[in-house]
Amino acid sequence: MPIPYQIVVCGSVVPDPLQTLEPITTPAGPALKNELMLPAVLDPWAGHALFEAANLAKQHPGSKVWLVSVGPKAKLQQVMMTVAQKVPFELIALDGPASGFAESAEIAAALAGAIQAIPGLDQSRLFVFGGWESASRGAGTTMQMVGELLGITDQFQGVDQLTVRPDGSFQALERVEGGKHQVSACSALPALLGWATGNLPEPPNNPQVGMLNMRTVMPALQRAKPVKVANDGVAFASVSLPKQRRATKIVKDLSPDAIAQEIVEWIGKE
Amino acid sequence: MNVDIVCVGFGPAMGGFLTTLSKQLLKEDGTPAVESVAAPGMPPQVICYERADDLGFGVSGVVTPARGIKASFPQLDPTQIPMAAPVKQERVAYLLDPIGASRRSLTLRSADALIRTCRWALPYEYQAVNLPWVPPFLRKHDGLVLSMGQFMQWVGAQVMSSGTVQVWPSTPVASPLLEGDRVVGVRLIDQGTDKQGAPADGFMPGMDIRAALTVVGDGPVGTIGRQLDEHFGLPEGNHQHDWAIGMKFVIDLPPGADLEPGTVFHTFGYPEPEIFGFMYVHPGRIASLGIFVPSWFDNPVRTAYRYLQHWMMHPYLWRYLEGATLRSWGAKTLQESGRRGEPHLAGNGYVRIGEGSGSTNVLTGSGVDEAWATGTQLAEGVLELLKSGRAFTKENLEQAYVRRRRTSWVEHEGRVAERARDGFQRGVVTGLIGMGLTGLTGGRINLRGRSMPPYRRLPTVERYYEGRIPPAEIAKLRVECAKKGASLSGALMDQAGWPAIPFDGKLLVSHQDALLMGGKVQAPAGYADHVIFLHPAVCQQCDVRICIDACSGQAITPGPEGVPAFDREKCVYCGACLWNCSKPSPTNPERSVVDFRAGAGGLHSAEN
Amino acid sequence: METILFLAHTETDGSLGKSALEALNAAKSLAAVLPGSNLISGLVGGDVQTAANQIAGCASARFLGVVGPDFASSRYSTDIVAVEALARAAAATIVIAPGTARWNRVLAGAAQRLGGRIDTHATGTTAADDQPGITRWYYRQRMEAVVQRTRRPWFILLDPGCGEPWTGAAGQVQVELVSPALTDANRRTTVTGLRAPSADQQTIRPDARLLFVAGAGWTKTQPDGKPHPKEAEQLILGFLAQSKASLGSTKSLVDLSGEGQAVLKFMTHLNQVGQTGSTPRHPKGLSTCCHGEEPHTVGWRFINERRAVNLNPNCSWAQGKADVLYVADAFAVMRKVNALLAEKA
Repeated sequence: MPIPYQIVVCGSVVPDPLQTLEPITTPAGPALKNELMLPAVLDPWAGHALFEAANLAKQHPGSKVWLVSVGPKAKLQQVMMTVAQKVPFELIALDGPASGFAESAEIAAALAGAIQAIPGLDQSRLFVFGGWESASRGAGTTMQMVGELLGITDQFQGVDQLTVRPDGSFQALERVEGGKHQVSACSALPALLGWATGNLPEPPNNPQVGMLNMRTVMPALQRAKPVKVANDGVAFASVSLPKQRRATKIVKDLSPDAIAQEIVEWIGKE
Repeated sequence: MNVDIVCVGFGPAMGGFLTTLSKQLLKEDGTPAVESVAAPGMPPQVICYERADDLGFGVSGVVTPARGIKASFPQLDPTQIPMAAPVKQERVAYLLDPIGASRRSLTLRSADALIRTCRWALPYEYQAVNLPWVPPFLRKHDGLVLSMGQFMQWVGAQVMSSGTVQVWPSTPVASPLLEGDRVVGVRLIDQGTDKQGAPADGFMPGMDIRAALTVVGDGPVGTIGRQLDEHFGLPEGNHQHDWAIGMKFVIDLPPGADLEPGTVFHTFGYPEPEIFGFMYVHPGRIASLGIFVPSWFDNPVRTAYRYLQHWMMHPYLWRYLEGATLRSWGAKTLQESGRRGEPHLAGNGYVRIGEGSGSTNVLTGSGVDEAWATGTQLAEGVLELLKSGRAFTKENLEQAYVRRRRTSWVEHEGRVAERARDGFQRGVVTGLIGMGLTGLTGGRINLRGRSMPPYRRLPTVERYYEGRIPPAEIAKLRVECAKKGASLSGALMDQAGWPAIPFDGKLLVSHQDALLMGGKVQAPAGYADHVIFLHPAVCQQCDVRICIDACSGQAITPGPEGVPAFDREKCVYCGACLWNCSKPSPTNPERSVVDFRAGAGGLHSAEN
Repeated sequence: METILFLAHTETDGSLGKSALEALNAAKSLAAVLPGSNLISGLVGGDVQTAANQIAGCASARFLGVVGPDFASSRYSTDIVAVEALARAAAATIVIAPGTARWNRVLAGAAQRLGGRIDTHATGTTAADDQPGITRWYYRQRMEAVVQRTRRPWFILLDPGCGEPWTGAAGQVQVELVSPALTDANRRTTVTGLRAPSADQQTIRPDARLLFVAGAGWTKTQPDGKPHPKEAEQLILGFLAQSKASLGSTKSLVDLSGEGQAVLKFMTHLNQVGQTGSTPRHPKGLSTCCHGEEPHTVGWRFINERRAVNLNPNCSWAQGKADVLYVADAFAVMRKVNALLAEKA
């Protein structure tokens, strides 16, 4: 009989990756210029984690997916209107910063606290998912700390594939150096997986899923607890955009053959 | 899926509708003020579907009198809305041609010479004349400078936090559901298809959303509005012949640019006399600026992007813009027929609001406020019908909504304005005089002009450039451009004397850079192409192919066997291809051979 | 005064990899500039003696090791125990380690367990006013920060390829073995192996001298009005086979490939650079049919010499990001490049 999993996905919002970003200094530390004006999306790798979670839940009737998210409430609301159409989940919202400069240990503590407060969690059926890195901090550190705080020591990062077995064990493929995957088998849950892209396409928008999710999304946003991040003990001596501009030589009048010759010579040079 | 009210398009009209409606669906104790039919026991289920990938993507920056908006938000504090500022000062300037490449009539050339001669006696500066006085009908005092993207995001947050309304972005609506002459809802777009629309991996057919009322606010080129117009026709005497493309930048002004937030510039006369320009200054040294290229600008290779660059470089503007940086870019069609482009506003099960419903005032150049007001009028009507338990029939909607609209300032001022631009059909100078007469006499005196569909106006390229570029040279350029796969407009502008743009990588960037760095255009896979060339044989015979030059995103290019090719990844959904096309549809002479359907993606900037 | 623990794991042959030696160099340099600091080496592996001997000349005050079959493979549940034990044994205040997949998986958990803090993807270390700091990037390599911390222990993972590897004399050292206790709970995960595409299909080569980036232009309509995905595939794969370059791509192109359209089927999400992809480090980069907008160019941030082939001379590559921009049809250029490489071979 398939196991009804409990899958908790951690994921926040990040600026739409296409936006031009610029750092500014505020009394509270570095921030993005016009941060509230930037369109936001669900953190891409966390998004893959959510879609993988939903897919796993779909294959295992009785499973449930939670999305635990720390972010400014208004931004979470906005992003949920896109995400909530994709797959069914229950939102647990925490009203706090989604900044890349927010300390991962403090965000992890908030996430772990929210997960521990979910009633009826059963460690033997529990997967904690997230992105292996965010597109904001880009550190790949939060999920491991969440796992530690929850006492989960079977952890996998850069996961592209999860295969579960009826006995509760599973196999995970993690990205390692050189475009390879490390294959691991784990005999029991709980486990924590930081996802890379996985193999699922983005699910289509499903209006019925959206309607269903909204029954929990709006109340979750209304009761979102505030999360304060003090960035204790961190000092940003500077945050700056790369300034180096190259003197680009534009070659317009060479034939493709001559260009090819030049390129081959350039490649061959040590 | 069944809901009570399904809405198409989240623009200012829908903002007005949902803002007003959402405030009154629940009682103070949180119980439903009226009960849903679709979900008994609940308040009415109101769903709005927006095509763009997020709220506020792909709508434009404006200066607006904001009467309707302020009526909805009496306590409105502009500082709470990013990029909003109260209007502080307005300037209207006539720009002379500092280059000599502009195609000016003899009358204009004489006027320009006179201005230059008498410039010491005129409010002349930087090759331009400031109008000493802004006509009342153009003034936006007490109004707001807004980024519509930011404003709509703000409105979206307000209405959704009410908990009574859901606004779903990135969900294009493909078609209305018609049962006879009754609209019973909408069908969403198919997902998981190939570019031709055939089912592919992850196919999910577009879901039917059935509703007692369908509110259509999908703008001037909205697919649902146009399908309803195809089905019901336009009211006798109305037409949608007049259009414009608005193309704009949002920029960071250079350090030291001394412009107060709320400063508004309007320009005319350059780069071509038919092209109007605007610049609105937002807080934080940000400005929106751009041009309108109207359908009565009879250039069969008209393009907006390069003209926009030449306009920015006019000395009158360049003194503020030199050193500025592009933040965002976009383009949008404007329905310029205004009140005379009005479709049937209500029918059984459906209503029309906003720009696509003919609410734009073509005299004052104001559309957002009017659109918003039509939304609030509809909301009041809908609440009246809901509370009295009356059905959304044509008759009831006429009584509850259309009557409100007819007795409102939107209608009154729209009537005054409806013939204001007729003179432009006969030329720029006549048009300007006509507009002035209409404005100053409250619509009692108007100059006449016969409005025609764009395709009937367009001369040949040879005719347009007569006396400036010899036909043989044009023929040569055609061959060269076809060989390179390049569009003709740039080559012709070069030949006509327009200088090359000195790209600086910041503000003066290539069209593709504007598209990708400014507009951040996206096209998710799994959707069918939404620009369709309906009659390939007609395209093959077409020697104008204005769709290619007029495409705001260079998404339409020369294609195999003479039929233009469409690249969805560059489309900004401006809809210019729809009305610029120079060939009438063989089946409906009011339409062209280009179809513009529902599609996903587009601009990814919320600053426009 | 800092106690700096250089933390490394062995490779399959028992030696230390290049990235570990880079981290050692950084740790050693930092110890040298922070007054009163000392350097300790902590090694994890099936056997660490070879590795310890390899860095005998690094002036490490102590060589600590956690060894045994349980520590031979890359596994969170045992690695965390090893790292915790080494950090405690060294009384480390700063831990510098290479940003390998193995350490990226586990060190954040170790920092949490030890009440410390962590920074990953560091590109270098700094020491201003005797205060240690690191440089690292935020928002997908869009902005660079210099970060300092007061909380200890401070774990720092250095991205491979950012610094010079340590070189020095090998020798014989005495490794102090630390033996953390393991239970069955630490052995629920078993590493069963590596999965890799066959050598001729492997297009990701981190050690290649050249990164070849193929943009979405390869799948677009060409001047004859038609797309030529088959030829694009042949040209790209042909070039990779001959040049041994690593292949990167843009999100739009790998997305298209992932959805089974008739374009460049050999592309996967692993090839993606920039935006949500990787930011590899190679001495040279050649971009073809790429536009070069910001989300994509971040994928190029750490390429030293950059050249591009693009039809658009005003493409933003021309605006200070590439060293040379060839305005040409990439199909024509790459056809000839492949022919020339074949002749050379």
